[in-house]
Amino acid sequence: MLLPWEYGVRNLARRPVRTALTLVALATVVMLVFVVVGFIRGLEQSLSVSGDEEVVLVYSVNSEENIENSSIAARTPALLTASLDSTWKRFGVAHVSPEMYLGTRVKTQEDDGGLGLVRGVTRNAPLVRRGVKLIAGDWPGQGEVMVGRLAPAKLGSRAEVMTIGQSVEFEGREWMISGQFSAGSAAYESEIWCNLADFQTATKRQDLSLVAMLLAPGASPAEVELFCKERIDLELRAIRETDYYATLQQHYKPVRLLAWLVVVLVSAAGVFAGLNMMYGAVAGRVREIATLQTIGFRRRAILLSLIQEGVLLAAAASLLSGLTALTMFNGMAVRFTMGAFTLRIDSVCILVGCSVGLLLGVLGTLPPAFKALRESVAISLKAI
Amino acid sequence: MKMSNWMFLGVFAFAAGCDSSPVVQESDTTGGSGSSQYLADVEPEGALPVGEARKSVKDDHAVTLVGVIGGSTKPFVDGLAAFTIVDAKVPYCSADEGCPTPWDYCCTQNEVKGNIATVKIVDDAGKPVAADARKMLNVKELSTVVVQGTARRDDQGNLTVAASKIFVRPGK
Repeated sequence: MLLPWEYGVRNLARRPVRTALTLVALATVVMLVFVVVGFIRGLEQSLSVSGDEEVVLVYSVNSEENIENSSIAARTPALLTASLDSTWKRFGVAHVSPEMYLGTRVKTQEDDGGLGLVRGVTRNAPLVRRGVKLIAGDWPGQGEVMVGRLAPAKLGSRAEVMTIGQSVEFEGREWMISGQFSAGSAAYESEIWCNLADFQTATKRQDLSLVAMLLAPGASPAEVELFCKERIDLELRAIRETDYYATLQQHYKPVRLLAWLVVVLVSAAGVFAGLNMMYGAVAGRVREIATLQTIGFRRRAILLSLIQEGVLLAAAASLLSGLTALTMFNGMAVRFTMGAFTLRIDSVCILVGCSVGLLLGVLGTLPPAFKALRESVAISLKAI
Repeated sequence: MKMSNWMFLGVFAFAAGCDSSPVVQESDTTGGSGSSQYLADVEPEGALPVGEARKSVKDDHAVTLVGVIGGSTKPFVDGLAAFTIVDAKVPYCSADEGCPTPWDYCCTQNEVKGNIATVKIVDDAGKPVAADARKMLNVKELSTVVVQGTARRDDQGNLTVAASKIFVRPGK
């Protein structure tokens, strides 16, 4: 015969302080798991949505995977357009975006800011960067910039100091913020965009970092790659934009593995904390457990009731942490080497967090329960 | 089993079947054993080393070149039967140096510039063959190949061979 469901529920309410403390301990552990998994998911999401299948990046072969270090001749876009039929053209406009991309110190009006990512673009950029949306203000004119949704997070500044009408300073010049843009959580969201010619003047450079080309329907990136191989003198390389971000995913693989290791370590620490709490909880109930055995309840039934208590508490802690994570941490901007991204408390994160929580409830209860049930009833009844 | 349990199972099975991952369909019509029509059975005679060919070969002339596949981290073009070859006289990192990509000639890049050519295998119409050269010819980085085809030169001195036959030297 099993113990009634209400027995376990009431038991939790009988020792409110101990129950509350256990709940807080479990909720803290589950919260840590939510934050770490949210970090991993946010990083993965940011890199996976960055890039367009139909866009090819052409940049210097000497910069390897690092576009910031790339320097190519300013005539490259014209050369590519003239030599290749694979570029998409509409109404006589080739969908080619010459860009200068740089990591540089950006100061805000309030503080010294930090290392920002600045991209000098032309009006062709939206034809190629199709995920970018101007959400407020205007496209930058001369001496103006538009800032990505996560640019303040990348600089470590408050969002209020990077609103339209404010100014930022980089490369020895002051730039007025004319607009704000989003890019569907892609990497561009942590960037600052300005006029290419202005940026070249400010940096005293005439070269470009890359050319982004939108391929015509049916065209293959291999054609661009072959052109780069044939024109060895230009020292160019071409890569599909999604492949470029896939290589970055590989680059950050150790970080993700480390983060998963943190999840395992935090969970293991949580199991030990849970064990400690449950040992204390069960130790004070040895006589009660012995009494239950005396009046005819089987050890298995008592064990199930104890697990029920642990799981109830862990489930409550998981729910509490889940709600807090969803309302407070989901979408929180995190600064990272390549820019910034948002914590992502998604279905996978909820599943991992709640599974760890419930596992804590079961694993934390079993050893102390076994210990209490192993004692003989006569000795347990006399326990203090 | 209760009705609610069956419903739960049904919903679960439906959700599991809703995976939106795309199905990749890749056809390999060229075979992977190096038995392509572009492979030569016998090594053509009189092959020029790449460095020499860059100095002497004229545009649109028939040419036979010999070289080692390499010159960059990725010498093969993905999706087209094309790759770069480097003159065999240019040294690359030996195996005992532990370099993971010796075919990029990382220590001798300056020598590579004057001793590199691009090879693209073309069909009867002169268009590059849309296939993976590695599978088609059963070659890999640092394989030595003898290429027969037509030279394409430009004003910058670049040399491209529109190849019709390739002989792969055994050994590498």
